[in-house]
Amino acid sequence: MADVLQSGEGVARKAEATLRTNGGRAITLRMPAPAVTGNDAEQLGLAAPQYQDLVLGPAVFHKANSVKKLLVAGSAVRAVVHTLAFDSAEALFETAVGVLIDDVLYEITDSFTSQSLGEPYCWWLVLQRPVR
Amino acid sequence: MQNAKDTFYELLRTRLAAVNPQRTIRLRGVVRPGVLVEENELLTTTALPDCFRVRWSVVGVDAKGALPQVTLQCAIDYETAGTAIHGGMDRGRSLAAMDAELAAIVNAAPRTVVKTSYAGLAVGNAAVTMQTNLWWGNVIFGKTVVKDDRLARTATVDVMAYQEDGEL
Repeated sequence: MADVLQSGEGVARKAEATLRTNGGRAITLRMPAPAVTGNDAEQLGLAAPQYQDLVLGPAVFHKANSVKKLLVAGSAVRAVVHTLAFDSAEALFETAVGVLIDDVLYEITDSFTSQSLGEPYCWWLVLQRPVR
Repeated sequence: MQNAKDTFYELLRTRLAAVNPQRTIRLRGVVRPGVLVEENELLTTTALPDCFRVRWSVVGVDAKGALPQVTLQCAIDYETAGTAIHGGMDRGRSLAAMDAELAAIVNAAPRTVVKTSYAGLAVGNAAVTMQTNLWWGNVIFGKTVVKDDRLARTATVDVMAYQEDGEL
C-alpha cells in the first residue's frame, strides 16, 4: 500500500479521491467533430460545425466563488486523451471548443498540470466566461 | 463582399495546391491545402505553423461608378519553426520558401478571376458564377517577426471587386 501511495499512480488516485470528496462533479468537454473531406461549405464558414461531447470528471473549481480555474482529475484527462488518440492533453485542450458546465460553455484559455514524480495527477484549466 | 472573399480564398487554395502540393494542414481531422480563412474556422483554431492564415482587414467602398467598387485588404499571416530534423536551424529557409510560394500564387497571371457565389453550398446547391470579376494588386511582405521559436510574417494584398445588384 505504501508503495502504491508513493508512486505517481498513487498520488493520482489520492487526487481523484480528494476531488470527489470536495464536491467533484462531471463536466462536459466539447470537441469539434471531424470535418468532411473536400467540403467547401465548411472551409467557407457556411456549414454548422458538429460537436462531440465527452464527460470529464471529477472536476471542481479552484475557489467556490470563482469560475476561472477548474481542477480535473489526471486519470480522467488521460482516459479522454487515449480515447481520442491525441498526442497530448495540451493538444486536446487547445483543440477543444470549451467545457460545458450547467449548460454554460466556457472557453479554455490555458491548461497546466500538477505533477508528482513526473506524473500529472491533476489538470488545471483556466477558463473564460462567455461574452454576455 | 462575401463573394469576393470566398472567391479569393478558393483561388489561393487552388493555386497553392498546384505550386506546392506538399504544403497541407490537418484541421479537424481533414488534410487540405495549407491555407485557411481565420473567420471561417472555430475560434479555438490555434495559430497553425507552416500554413497561410487569411484575415480580412480594411474594407473600402467607392460608390462613384455605375457599380460600387469594393477594396478589401487581405492580410495573410504565416509562421514557421523550420523542421525538427534540422533542429529549427532552417526556419529562415522555410520562411523564405513560404514567401516564394505566396509570391507565386498571388503574383501569377492572370490576376483576375470571375467572382463566384458559394452561398448555395450551405443548402446543397452548386456554386454560381457571377457577372463581374475580381482583381488584385501585388503582394506586399511585412517584416520578419520572431515569435519564440518561430519566424513569422504578415503579407497583404488589396483585392478589388464590383458590388453587384443584390449582392451581400
